[in-house]
Amino acid sequence: MIYLDNAGTTKMFDECVEVGRKFSCENFFNPSALSVEALEISRLLNETEKFFLNKLGALQGNVIFTGCATESNNLAVRGSLRTGDWEYVFSAGEHPSVYNQAKKFELEGFKVHVVPLNEDGQIDLQKLQSVLNEKTRLISVIHVSNETGAVNDLHKICQIKKKICPKAIIHVDGVQSFMKIPFSLAGLDVDLYSFSGHKLHAPKGVAGLYVKNKSALKELFYGGGQQYGLRSGTENVAGIMQFKKAVELIDVRLNFDKVKLMKEKMICQLSKVNGVKIFDFAGSPYILNVVFDGVKGETMLHALNEKGVIVGLGSACSSKKAGNRVLENIGFDKDVIISSVRISFNAYQTLEEIEKACEIIEEVYKNIKERVS
Amino acid sequence: MRNVLLLKFGELFLKGKNRHDFIKLLKTNITYKLRDFVFKLHETQGRLIVSDYDESFEEIIIAKLQQVFGLIGVVVACEFDTSYETIQENIKKLDLSLVKTFKVEVKRADKSFPIKSMDMEKELGGILLEEFPNLKVDLYNPEIVVHVEIRINNKTYIYSKVYECVGGLPLGSGGKALLLLSGGIDSPVAGYMMAKRGLKLEAVHFHSYPYTSVQAKEKVIELAKEISEFCGEIKLHIVSFTEIQEQIHKNCDAEYMITIMRRIMMRIAERICQQNNLGAIVTGESLGQVASQTMQSMNVTNSVVSLPVFRPLIAFDKEDIMSVARKINTYETSILPYEDCCTVFLPKYPVIKPTIKRAEYLETKLDLEQLIEKAIASQEILEITNF
Repeated sequence: MIYLDNAGTTKMFDECVEVGRKFSCENFFNPSALSVEALEISRLLNETEKFFLNKLGALQGNVIFTGCATESNNLAVRGSLRTGDWEYVFSAGEHPSVYNQAKKFELEGFKVHVVPLNEDGQIDLQKLQSVLNEKTRLISVIHVSNETGAVNDLHKICQIKKKICPKAIIHVDGVQSFMKIPFSLAGLDVDLYSFSGHKLHAPKGVAGLYVKNKSALKELFYGGGQQYGLRSGTENVAGIMQFKKAVELIDVRLNFDKVKLMKEKMICQLSKVNGVKIFDFAGSPYILNVVFDGVKGETMLHALNEKGVIVGLGSACSSKKAGNRVLENIGFDKDVIISSVRISFNAYQTLEEIEKACEIIEEVYKNIKERVS
Repeated sequence: MRNVLLLKFGELFLKGKNRHDFIKLLKTNITYKLRDFVFKLHETQGRLIVSDYDESFEEIIIAKLQQVFGLIGVVVACEFDTSYETIQENIKKLDLSLVKTFKVEVKRADKSFPIKSMDMEKELGGILLEEFPNLKVDLYNPEIVVHVEIRINNKTYIYSKVYECVGGLPLGSGGKALLLLSGGIDSPVAGYMMAKRGLKLEAVHFHSYPYTSVQAKEKVIELAKEISEFCGEIKLHIVSFTEIQEQIHKNCDAEYMITIMRRIMMRIAERICQQNNLGAIVTGESLGQVASQTMQSMNVTNSVVSLPVFRPLIAFDKEDIMSVARKINTYETSILPYEDCCTVFLPKYPVIKPTIKRAEYLETKLDLEQLIEKAIASQEILEITNF
């Protein structure tokens, strides 16, 4: 099996298994308990929080550990909602866990702006500038698009914000960027940053939210007041420690270069095939959109699946619905959208695998095209 | 004294000499439906009684019985040995504190019981009025009727609340048939309705992997499970339609795509019927709903089979079908967005009034026999239970 749906989820590192066992079966204590053993766990979690702050390049602030990136995004966005005459700004390229909150805010009567994407799949900066004003409370942008791999320029967005509405909060959905593309929050005026474990070879069920200023955020649920009162509930100690382990094992720079080679190889081989169009948004090397003229993306997905190649179809969370909001917003035709698949890499596969996958993709496409034409 | 469940059946009474067979079938179905519970089922004086069950499961047993075709009602009755004193004592145990109006109906099958029904009714009504001061008698439109049945086996039954059941005829009393099960809203409803008239069902689903997803197939299995709640075990035949669709697409006019697809589906369905001893085909078609469900289209698809084709939804509006789907809990699954094989290769303008002649001509371009044989040979068969 060649797995090319790594933007959906990744295979967990073997090393995380032992960490999970250790913190479930040996050091299983509740960090809020009063025993010496529990205190030790509590200390470890504090260290781990510092560890993640370091990896983010954050000079101040905290990390709240959550159950998934959807929860992180909800805590960030819903937690920044305030009554009053405020306005909320979202990019059209947001993941459903942000975008559907924007829709909900609108229904609840809040003023919401959805800023369209430019043809490179990034938030249109001019349009962003035109909707910002002193009433802007929150700006939420995705760092790397889960659909296209397009990268938003956080520096420019922060500059614009600083000029027009310096008090507004910036939330960045970093699920496809943290530990994947080299960057640092230092020097960026980002207030909230979401990231997720299972996209980084850690288990599902653990994610994080970087919070620059905790007092500006409201909790989503109430309970024992863990994690500065922002995320009540016993911490998923094993999951958090496994997440830490996975991040320790990742070399961002090295992986970036490796994956870049894979993407280039795939573009090179597939662009030779008649009827195949590649949409490379010159963004993250981890994600590539390929359009198979005359064949539905879903058909390609199933046919490739039969031959042992697993690819994705837009966002796995939204592919159950017809159409694709993000690609539509960039201005793709319906025919193109319906024929597109998302190929996403991880740094631990080999170039040979990619080469083999390209051969299979070519063969399957030719076969299906023949059958449906 | 103990609680028993009295089961009421509807049309079975009309069935004359077959009545015995119907009741036998009903007993088998009830025994199967309640197979996870300990209980006794016996027939006395033309009525079925469930007894000796754990009363903590009473509600769930009733809920299960409410789904058994052939029953119209279930009542929880208090059963005890007949005597004037026990009747007086037990009627007081009814909780009528929230009821405003009532009447008492006494049936005295045991004529050796010394007090006449009318007198008993007055007597027992008086006791209840004393027990519940807010209660009033209303002989014509009472909120509840308290039934007291004095039977000849020296048992008396008191009950008031009737739980409605689905009605219909016992599953299997009408024979066996094959349901064409797509992933849509209509076909599970059609299956449910025919099963309610006593048909035991098998089902066939056509799928077109890789043009449709594994989830689409999973959805159909889920739907089969959901209707098997009422319809009992369902043998689901899953037939790959991929090659047939490709061949039609290559060789026939696009506007006849669906017509010919449906004709081939009917042929395959009939063969499955023959191989499995099934006497009819059931579809979820509703007149005029889509191009393939016009009168002319149905004539063209119907003409390739000789078995009867039952279309219980033929005169139903979509809204009505949807409301039954909600009632039988298939709606939510049906609206999941996975395409079934009908929607792939869909032509923009399917023919609305096809002719048999044209369809027959276009089919000469296909190796029909070989395609059908191959599809049937490769079918996957699943036994679905949720009953």
